[in-house]
Amino acid sequence: MMQYLATFHTHLASLKTHRALAAAGIEARMAPVPRKISSSCGTCVFYSADNPCYDKLDADVEAVYLLKDKDAELLRQFE
Amino acid sequence: MKKENFFKKNWLVMLTGLLIGAAAVVLTAFGNPKNMGFCIACFLRDIAGALKLHGAAPVQYFRPEIVGIVAGACIMALIGKEFKPKAGSSPFIRFALGAAVMIGALVFLGCPLRMVIRIGGGDLNAIVGLVGFVLGILIGVFFLKHNFSLGRAYKQGPVEGLLFPILLIGGFVLTLIAGSLFAFSEEGPGSMHAPILLALGIGLVVGALAQKSRLCMVGGVRDAVMFKEFGLLAAFGCIIVAVLVGNAIRGTLNWGFEGQPIAHTEWLWNLLGMTVVGWGCALLGGCPLRQLVLAGEGNADSAITVLGMIAGAAAAHTLKTASSADGTGANGPIATIVCLLFILVISVTHLKKEQ
Repeated sequence: MMQYLATFHTHLASLKTHRALAAAGIEARMAPVPRKISSSCGTCVFYSADNPCYDKLDADVEAVYLLKDKDAELLRQFE
Repeated sequence: MKKENFFKKNWLVMLTGLLIGAAAVVLTAFGNPKNMGFCIACFLRDIAGALKLHGAAPVQYFRPEIVGIVAGACIMALIGKEFKPKAGSSPFIRFALGAAVMIGALVFLGCPLRMVIRIGGGDLNAIVGLVGFVLGILIGVFFLKHNFSLGRAYKQGPVEGLLFPILLIGGFVLTLIAGSLFAFSEEGPGSMHAPILLALGIGLVVGALAQKSRLCMVGGVRDAVMFKEFGLLAAFGCIIVAVLVGNAIRGTLNWGFEGQPIAHTEWLWNLLGMTVVGWGCALLGGCPLRQLVLAGEGNADSAITVLGMIAGAAAAHTLKTASSADGTGANGPIATIVCLLFILVISVTHLKKEQ
């Protein structure tokens, strides 16, 4: 199981993603975006899954990171 | 990423809070109005006056602190490669919400930052304002949890992001070389100010630190309620502590409701004025200070929000909705109710349906 973090362009997109992940039985939680990731004060979703679950993410997703012990690796940047 | 302990994670934002509180005390000691060392609403209102957008003679001054905050945030964002121009998230609604927030702030007589600075000076009317502020944020959070959104912003070119900081700096330079074009108060709060370079320098430091730490007066309550994250709220407390200590040292701590500097005692309108501010800022995604910082980072939606605040300040004084030490303005109560209704309409009409 891997740990992921997804950031979004809107709070609503993170809310919808959190709901979609939870509905699929994926452990997820919403939180303020960590300062190390962005200067934005938006909301992100942390989740644990076997893969990044791109199909469960809202269309207004900004980026997905793979969380490691000390840092976060950018997996995909969206428009 | 490993979870960090509270102080390791939040030391910068707490330090920023302490320094902003200290900066407010220093600016007051060097000439800014009492309990108004730092007030984004008051300073934008003064800038509106300096630009002759309203005719209230006591509140006209091109405040260097505002220029410093935006420029400091811009420089820090450029250094940190975090300058990211973007725009397109309901710009005119943001303009109007900015105006409503300013009208509410001028009923209370202060932005959230001045509210905590007033508390640190012993002004108990500001505690009433704090109750209204938290109430407003809680209403905003309710709508955020029920699918409120102003829509996303899109990436823009560098000129879009740089124009606001450049225009602001240009306006400031003009006040120095062609001051006669602007209005400057000869008496009242607008005539009371710290030396220009000190005000600009402190603004630069505060803007840079606020960009680095993401300090936000609204975000503190929002994150505590929504995510049980208390870092920003701790910074909120740090500002109060620094101002309290500073006022105690200077002998200017004065607890009470009556006779407070540039404040009135009409509790209902103090409360509801700050409800407008809390609710509006929760929908906007940040307090007036945060809007300045985001504008410095290249967020043109925030720049438009700041322009809305300046327009709101002009409207507040032209339409006699702004309060004074004597009490609420003639049209302050009705304007507060209109603003609350307006924000309610925006809140309800921007609830997105689940697909």
